[in-house]
Amino acid sequence: MLGNPGEHAFLNALANNGWRVIAPSLPGFTGSSESNTLRNLHDWVVAASELVDIAGVAGVPIVASSVGAMVALELAAIRPEAFDAMVLVAPFGLWDPQDPVADPFATTLTNQRKMLTVDPAASASFFDDSEDMPADLLVEHGVDRYLTRSASAQLIWPIPEFGISERLHLVKNPVTLVHGDKDAIIPPSYMEKWAQMLPNVAGTHLVEEAGHHAEFDRPEHVAAIVKSALS
Amino acid sequence: MPYPELPPDFPEEHRSVWVDIDPTLFDPEVGNRTYNEYLDELEFAAGCGFDAVGVNEHHSNGYGLMPSPNIIAAALSRNCPDTNIIVLGDSVALYNPPLRVAEEIAMLDGITGGRMVAGFPVGSPMDTIFAYGQNPATLRERYHEGVDLIRQAWTRDEVFAYNGKYNKLRYVNVWPRPVQKPHPPIWIPGGGSVDTWDWCAQEDLVYCYLSYFGYKAGLKTMQGFWKKVQENGKEPNPFQGGFAQFIAVADTEKEAWDLYREPAEYFFNTCLHVYAGFADPPGYKTPNTVRAGVEGMVERAAREATARSESKKSRGGGGFPKGLSFEEMVEKGYVILGDPTQVAEQVHELATTMHIGHLMAFCHFGNMNKELVRYNTEMYATQVMPEVSGLFEDEFEDLWWPQPLAEAARRDVPEVPAS
Repeated sequence: MLGNPGEHAFLNALANNGWRVIAPSLPGFTGSSESNTLRNLHDWVVAASELVDIAGVAGVPIVASSVGAMVALELAAIRPEAFDAMVLVAPFGLWDPQDPVADPFATTLTNQRKMLTVDPAASASFFDDSEDMPADLLVEHGVDRYLTRSASAQLIWPIPEFGISERLHLVKNPVTLVHGDKDAIIPPSYMEKWAQMLPNVAGTHLVEEAGHHAEFDRPEHVAAIVKSALS
Repeated sequence: MPYPELPPDFPEEHRSVWVDIDPTLFDPEVGNRTYNEYLDELEFAAGCGFDAVGVNEHHSNGYGLMPSPNIIAAALSRNCPDTNIIVLGDSVALYNPPLRVAEEIAMLDGITGGRMVAGFPVGSPMDTIFAYGQNPATLRERYHEGVDLIRQAWTRDEVFAYNGKYNKLRYVNVWPRPVQKPHPPIWIPGGGSVDTWDWCAQEDLVYCYLSYFGYKAGLKTMQGFWKKVQENGKEPNPFQGGFAQFIAVADTEKEAWDLYREPAEYFFNTCLHVYAGFADPPGYKTPNTVRAGVEGMVERAAREATARSESKKSRGGGGFPKGLSFEEMVEKGYVILGDPTQVAEQVHELATTMHIGHLMAFCHFGNMNKELVRYNTEMYATQVMPEVSGLFEDEFEDLWWPQPLAEAARRDVPEVPAS
């Protein structure tokens, strides 16, 4: 559950393990319907729960990142059987006033891109349009991009902390934590905070030369971590 | 209501005048003086014969010192008996519940005997999303629900339950009731949202384009609104449109150039020094507005301010590039400047080309001193206004103007005790 699916090297790397990889598009994200019927985090978690059932994947391992990892953890807290093992890349959900999560939206689009990955090319599939794209498609891609960013904002505005620390003891699933060492949004120190609160931590991995979306910056490396965690 | 004493190097040394402006720059003594001078100026304008005086709402902002417009309106309510008061307006989604707006405007309408206009803006991204932490994805829906709640609260003659998506109220009962029936006129200040045009047209609400960038740049926006009015099968009554314009009038054109240069440059180059990252949070615009490529006025101001800052960085921090020159502001129509005849001609052109029945004249902008504000205000009221007032009144009726109680029935000034 990556929020913004599509052709990503990371998904391909997972599939190369011989796994069947299902990458849903969360409400509002590219390829999905708008998220305007979802009022709050509760609605998002219910939607994710429905998604698991409709896709018929309850009880399978999950790999989730960023806002998707936050939703996955919330669902696991109330419905642990929704997933088997979990691999979570830089989840939102905690807030340390001494070391706060950066605001990824109080910035220009150019700077936001810099906050997401160390290598700008790693997020090209989301931010860049091909030069020969027809004008009308270009406009629609721009609208899709805007709606995807809106859906992320809807989930985590204004402070991405909704009391999950009170519910983490309910997450019985084995959780592997992954975090980019150059995450410009969630400080890498947060991985240790999650590890201290989750009851069943299977491993922690700080990925070098990786930003918030470590799976975009280092797809093969993060896929190898996933393979190791789920094998 | 700008804070008038930001340091001269503010654009060079500070990221933004809005949201994260340095709190230590605020001098309470300046605040005390400024609030009272501004109230004096509004009361002076009322005494000069303006049809109304206006107040608005901004937060965490060095160019607008009015987080609560209703407080300023209340301060004016008993000292301006011969004019109307336009609150333009209360950012409905920021009030929890928005019923508070219904109550306060009803109170003001009661105090003034029905001389109120109620304006309901969505609010700028800086005010709503950043300063007040509203979720950009739900702001507009929350806003529309709030306006609906207020309108029902003013018009339904019963206690009712309101089961909204964002507002759950078991007993809605605004007490006091507004003087005006069915309610005070509702004006919607907009910044260029395509969907706001359509909504105002459908609901017969006044659409006010509060642009910083004058009538030449604002024409496209107003044409967009009038097109929606026609598409909805409505009469394009100019009194359903409003526009804000900076005015700089003096006895002679040369005098106007001399007098208004500094305050105009202070406003456009310091008060609009907004960081671009605050101007366009994802979810604030509707998909239709994104699709139409409409850039809001705040977004434009922020983009230009940030471009200047980044230009400075790319030059190694030396020699901050000058902002817009006063000559450019006048040439582009941001500021209408001249002697009374010249200004009247331009205002006439503005009103007729944009089809505008309500003009909000910014006679105070930037760091004008009080004498200059009074001069500009009086010149406009006495020498320009008579030339342009009543422009559309032969052909159209203003359906969006306050309907106060008859003067004999009104009691809206302080009573002086018998000695």
